[in-house]
Amino acid sequence: MFEASIRQPLVEGNKSIADVSNDICAPIENKPTKLWWLGFTLSFAFLMLMVLSLGWTVWEGIGTWGVNKTVMWGWDITNFVFWVGIGHAGTLISAILLLFRQKWRMSINRSAEAMTIFAVLCAAQFPLFHMGRVWLAYWALPLPNMFGSLWVNFNSPLLWDVFAISTYLSVSLLFWYLGLIPDIATVRDRAVTKARKFWYGFFAMGWNGSARTWHRYEIVALILAGVSTPLVLSVHTIVSMDFATSVIPGWHTTIFPPYFVAGAIFSGFGMVLTLLIIVRKVLNLQQYITIGHLDAMTKVVMLTGSIVGVAYLTEFFIAAYSGVVYEQYAFLNRAFGPYWWAYWTMMSCNLLAPQVFWFKWARTTPWFIFMLSIVVNIGMWFERFVIIVTSLHRDYLTSSWAMYSATITEVGIFLGTMGLFFTCFFLFSKFLPVINMSEVKSIIKSRE
Amino acid sequence: MGHHHISEVNDEKYIFTGRSKVIVGLVFVVGLILTFIGVNQIKHEDAHKSGAANVEEHAATNQDLPVHTVGMQDDHQAHGDESHAEEHTEHAEASHGEEAHGEEEHAEAHGSHHGPSWLARLWANLLLNSYYFMLFAVGALFFLAVNYAANAGWSTLLKRVIESITSYIPIGILTLGLVIYFGKEHLYHWVVYLNQGLDAGQPGFDKILAGKDWFLSSGWLLIGVPTIMIIWWVFRIILVRLSHKEDEQGGLSFFKKSVIYSAAFLVVFAFSFSVLSWLVMMSIDPHWYSTMYSVYNFAIAFVTSLTVICFFTLYLKSKGYMEVVSDEVIHDLGKFMFAFSIFWGYIFVCQFLLIWYANITEESIYFAQRLTPNFKWFFRSNIIMCFALPFLILMMRNAKRHPKVLLVAGSMILLGHWLDLFIMIMPGTVGQSAQIGVLEIGLTMAFAGLFIFWVLNNLSKRNLYAKNHPYLLESANHDVGV
Repeated sequence: MFEASIRQPLVEGNKSIADVSNDICAPIENKPTKLWWLGFTLSFAFLMLMVLSLGWTVWEGIGTWGVNKTVMWGWDITNFVFWVGIGHAGTLISAILLLFRQKWRMSINRSAEAMTIFAVLCAAQFPLFHMGRVWLAYWALPLPNMFGSLWVNFNSPLLWDVFAISTYLSVSLLFWYLGLIPDIATVRDRAVTKARKFWYGFFAMGWNGSARTWHRYEIVALILAGVSTPLVLSVHTIVSMDFATSVIPGWHTTIFPPYFVAGAIFSGFGMVLTLLIIVRKVLNLQQYITIGHLDAMTKVVMLTGSIVGVAYLTEFFIAAYSGVVYEQYAFLNRAFGPYWWAYWTMMSCNLLAPQVFWFKWARTTPWFIFMLSIVVNIGMWFERFVIIVTSLHRDYLTSSWAMYSATITEVGIFLGTMGLFFTCFFLFSKFLPVINMSEVKSIIKSRE
Repeated sequence: MGHHHISEVNDEKYIFTGRSKVIVGLVFVVGLILTFIGVNQIKHEDAHKSGAANVEEHAATNQDLPVHTVGMQDDHQAHGDESHAEEHTEHAEASHGEEAHGEEEHAEAHGSHHGPSWLARLWANLLLNSYYFMLFAVGALFFLAVNYAANAGWSTLLKRVIESITSYIPIGILTLGLVIYFGKEHLYHWVVYLNQGLDAGQPGFDKILAGKDWFLSSGWLLIGVPTIMIIWWVFRIILVRLSHKEDEQGGLSFFKKSVIYSAAFLVVFAFSFSVLSWLVMMSIDPHWYSTMYSVYNFAIAFVTSLTVICFFTLYLKSKGYMEVVSDEVIHDLGKFMFAFSIFWGYIFVCQFLLIWYANITEESIYFAQRLTPNFKWFFRSNIIMCFALPFLILMMRNAKRHPKVLLVAGSMILLGHWLDLFIMIMPGTVGQSAQIGVLEIGLTMAFAGLFIFWVLNNLSKRNLYAKNHPYLLESANHDVGV
């Protein structure tokens, strides 16, 4: 395909095909660095915190959380939506950017997809344990049973969520694994130890790199991309309907579905940036994940952040315009009620902060982007907190108004899922190629 | 695929022949004549009806409006008092329910109360067409800006076609501005209400409308709306001028400037288009609100303008121009039409489903009025034409590379979204007697004639390609890959 001369190369450093294999297989073939061990140990410690906190929740009961009759959803569902949202960048990059032929996605899709899967695993913890009796979690599935009237409620968006998210997890996992097969085969073919040859050989599923194999691979990848594209929209659409189908002021608003999707992509790219800025430094991949990649991703962050900002202002405007006093109160209470700090944190992190990316310096300075990406993560966590807690804590009956604050157990679970997420990610970066070698090889300029 | 590399794009110029001018002019003139016939036909029917109907109803004049507005409030209340679990569908199906038909009666009365029904219908249609064709122009400007901001190369050959469609913006400003200025009493009953200047406690006082006077005011409507459209026009002028200079002088500087202005336009557009859609369209039903409404209007604007771009390109190709625009480019345009038909469907479902599910009377009233015996077939056809058919037709790869198939699917999209606007505008202006007759067809033809004439005329003034655009050859050598 012809390319205009003003397009910048996607991979820098005049890499040859052998360089790509050597550079990207290096972390797998060499002993992990001290920095890796440090990060892994720390993450693992937090993972243990999750196990501890969840264990305590199951042992003692949901009373160990700060939720009450009025604010029946607190940090749990906030974290659930937060983590599901994080996952969206992976699917967007692998599916929608593939359909848009955005080749810069090739250096980042593998790690973003991995991130998706780990984030969905983290998200799943919260609704499961919020059920109280987690060992009955399978009741959420429409399984034929002998319990009399026990059957799922198909009218409930919460059940739609069960289907949406399990579909999302399975398709993402398939997509990720399919893309890994040729690369796992590369590691197998380079293996010097028997164990490595055996295990990578096992997971490469007999990949032989023939034209026929590639042909099939590409067709399957395209079909999966087609299947994943509606998934990008559907998952967070359904999550938003957990709120929007209700009649609670601040929750029931028709713009929620696309606004949640934009917010999810926004937070997902925030997390991708956080991770990749570390990865490119620690694994020495600056020539693959270039400043150009960071530039493109910050533009996506700015775009989706602004879409979310327009949605915030639209909601606020329509609440004022509606003439419904409950709507109006819900929004004033958000901005000026007891949780005002959460609202203004959300506004400044999500709407204002990303506007710095209008400046080229901000888009091309890694340490600055890193800081901003954390700001975005914080902002999006607060968005869910604002939506959930401030809408619930003052309902139609003033006698049932209540405040909510998280307990140490809830904080422990949240930090614990961070541990789970990063533990998975460190293991991934040690045992699997973090960049899709076979795809990157197709776009290097010095191709023979 | 498989075609040889193109290293140079030869300049072409479109000639708007006398014959074409006559044909397009005829569409315009025939449209006007049909409009005239349509109006007379309705006048005739009115006279016929009023002979049979009661005389008091007919004697009612504009002065009666406050009473009428009270009627509306009461209807809302009555509506709210009923348990409304399944009522909406029944509401629509039942032909002669008593209290359930309050809204409809109201809407019927609405048309006649404002004066002769042909006048209400004429204004409503003028608004529909002014807005509809303006959406093409501003949607095309949005697409132009998106292509710059996203560094897209594939569509560069179509740039002049897109720019020519945006040249309709000043006509859009003029038509929409005039319709709103002179027709506001017929289109927006909040305008009539505000003119009464009622205070709390007076009969006919509407608390909801009174609470909205900070936004639903003639200031916003008569100054805000034109200002917004003029801002778009300014961006259009800047972008086209940069494109001109690029043609003459070459170099990258104009391209870089265009990227900056495009990004700025996208920000301005997001806010201003929302405000415009609330004022021009949502305020037709001033008690009702939906946060999705502006997104819904955007979805209409984008998918229709993509279709119009596709149609003009196919027309030029059929006349022997634009040989260099390959099936690959048309294919991608078809993909966009496909994708944004789905996007419209998504936005439609989200808005409808959430309102239907929560079933809050103040919100569901909007769909209740659109699922009545008079409107339900329009409503259903709308979904089929805007989503189902384009989705099924354009799904096939070859459909997107075949001009005739694209023409069929695109016509569905364009007619479907005309109907979409019809459903949005009519219940609040004309009421339940709204129909598609000679007037509707004639006026749309007249506007279409004007639009096509204007765009083709603009197109004939310049080169068909932006010859110094850095991505021109990318577009000429475009390949969709699979």
